[in-house]
Amino acid sequence: MKRENSMNERINIYQVAFKNLLRKKTRTLLTILGIWLSAWVLTSLLGFNRGYESALNKDIDNMGFQVLLTAKGCPYEAATLMLKGGTGLRYMPEAVFADILKHPEVEKITPMLMQAVFDPNKGESGGISAYLGIDPGTYPAMKSFLKFKQGGWFKEKETHQAVLGYEAAELEQREVGDKILIPEKNIEYSVVGILARSGTQDDGTIFVPIRTLQKDFAQEGKVTAVAIKVRKEANITTLENKLYDLPDVQVVSMAQVKTTIMSLVSTAKVMVFSIALIAILIAVLGVVNTILMSVFERFQEIGIIKSMGAMPWDVFRMIWTETVVLCVIGGAAGIGLSFALSKLTDLLIRRLLPYTPTGSLVIVNGSLALTTLGIVLAIGLLSGLYPAWRASRVRPLESIRSEGD
Amino acid sequence: MSAKAPALEARGLTKIYKRGAEEIVAVDGVSLDVRCGEFISFIGPSGSGKTTLINILGCLDNATSGSLKIGGRTVFDGAKSLSESELTRIRRVVFGYIFQKFYLIPTLTVMENVLLPFAFYRKEEARTDPMDILRFLGLDKRVGHRPSELSGGEMQRVAIARALVNKPEILLADEPTGNLDSKRSLEIGEVLRSLNERDGLTVLLVTHNPALAAIAHRTVSLRDGKIAEG
Repeated sequence: MKRENSMNERINIYQVAFKNLLRKKTRTLLTILGIWLSAWVLTSLLGFNRGYESALNKDIDNMGFQVLLTAKGCPYEAATLMLKGGTGLRYMPEAVFADILKHPEVEKITPMLMQAVFDPNKGESGGISAYLGIDPGTYPAMKSFLKFKQGGWFKEKETHQAVLGYEAAELEQREVGDKILIPEKNIEYSVVGILARSGTQDDGTIFVPIRTLQKDFAQEGKVTAVAIKVRKEANITTLENKLYDLPDVQVVSMAQVKTTIMSLVSTAKVMVFSIALIAILIAVLGVVNTILMSVFERFQEIGIIKSMGAMPWDVFRMIWTETVVLCVIGGAAGIGLSFALSKLTDLLIRRLLPYTPTGSLVIVNGSLALTTLGIVLAIGLLSGLYPAWRASRVRPLESIRSEGD
Repeated sequence: MSAKAPALEARGLTKIYKRGAEEIVAVDGVSLDVRCGEFISFIGPSGSGKTTLINILGCLDNATSGSLKIGGRTVFDGAKSLSESELTRIRRVVFGYIFQKFYLIPTLTVMENVLLPFAFYRKEEARTDPMDILRFLGLDKRVGHRPSELSGGEMQRVAIARALVNKPEILLADEPTGNLDSKRSLEIGEVLRSLNERDGLTVLLVTHNPALAAIAHRTVSLRDGKIAEG
């Protein structure tokens, strides 16, 4: 029985390599820690790279339209309008609809009329409320993804009914069935719906029928913006170029908006990627240093292994395996950490960036984990080359010469 | 190799080291025949060239000139040096080595250390159960221990077992008792003699210890790189 057991016992190069790492446990652990942190930073950054763009795309897709036409110089963001105190609105005549609809690229349009009203009862010293006049026949269909917390859209084209965005309802403390007053006009609207939170500017907007808003503010036949949904197969840039020919309008392309935001974010990304690169370089140097020190410490031992019949490639493989084991353990732990802390990383990035879309900013998934593991493994293989080459060149004679005659 | 056939045939082996402009002749025209199953000890003062000679005979180093045949096959004829890979191929088949330091891998057990050569190469004829070797060397109760748990004598016996596991034709022992007290030294000497007598293993032993040298069939005395006697 004993005879069989000892004959069946085996040891291979990989077991020897693995056990070598246990020799200096603290050094091995510190090296793994370096790779662990680098892999965490790398995975989170790659996850952010994917997540941010995907969240931004989702936000832009959720706008329901690809091109926005406004009167030249007119602010098209509700936030900008409020910052300017409700001033600066410019108008386009409704006649522009025909000029837009004649283009074959256009699937449908929806007109919008923005009005900003000073409400003295808002907050401590009053504030601006944004009213958006919309067409109940086209707007809800274009933004079909909007969900209601209470009630629904108004159906009639001309009625004193309103739908409140989630935050507007919170701020005004209104529910379905309540009234909302425009103080300077002394006009009341009945609240028929409250939207669920969308994370977009819709949250702070009060929606009313466009015809009613035009009459109440004496802006009949005028709009501040026209949202255009482009046909799927159509070229958006071609349409934009055609729309530039219309007089006194500005064309806001959502693709351009996305590009602008992405270029703003890219500066932050470059900075963070540089930090990650430095962290990875430090980890690589740590690995090279650890393995090289280990090779120098085992100089004589490697020589003896070669005297036993190990070829240079055997020694190379053994040392290379040690590097790969360090990198795979550190890499896997780092990926695990990035999965565990993805929510925290998301929060951290939201605090750092001036603008963040609504979805998940850091998307860490299986394919990303594999990509990171591949990168870490490649780094491990590269950083192990030199120490493994040095070890493979050790001559047994050099190692035993110190014994002298 | 059959008994009494030539295991090694060295003719005019010379090794010259260069230290700057100075040339140091470590081995100076040594000619030596070693028969299969022979037990030869090499003695001489420090710097006499015995380790350099045994390194050349054991294919751990190339000679500067001369020729060397192993088992009747010429491995070196002075015309060109063998590459490290060529030396390795000869070493793994023909030789087992024991050194003054034991060079056991501290993270491996006794059995794993003994089996280590198999991780790189296993001779067809190396079918002996490693446990038999360990039993012969009195280490059968220590197979699961790590080197740090062994005495110096036990560690050297593990190193001997490791050198024997691939069934070498020639065992080279360079000062194998240099780190051991006199009692342990004689124990190791007895082990080497038993291996030679029991298995017919050719043993080349380098030692400073005349008592240990005396257990060999033949003693070769070296002085200034030349064979002074033997």
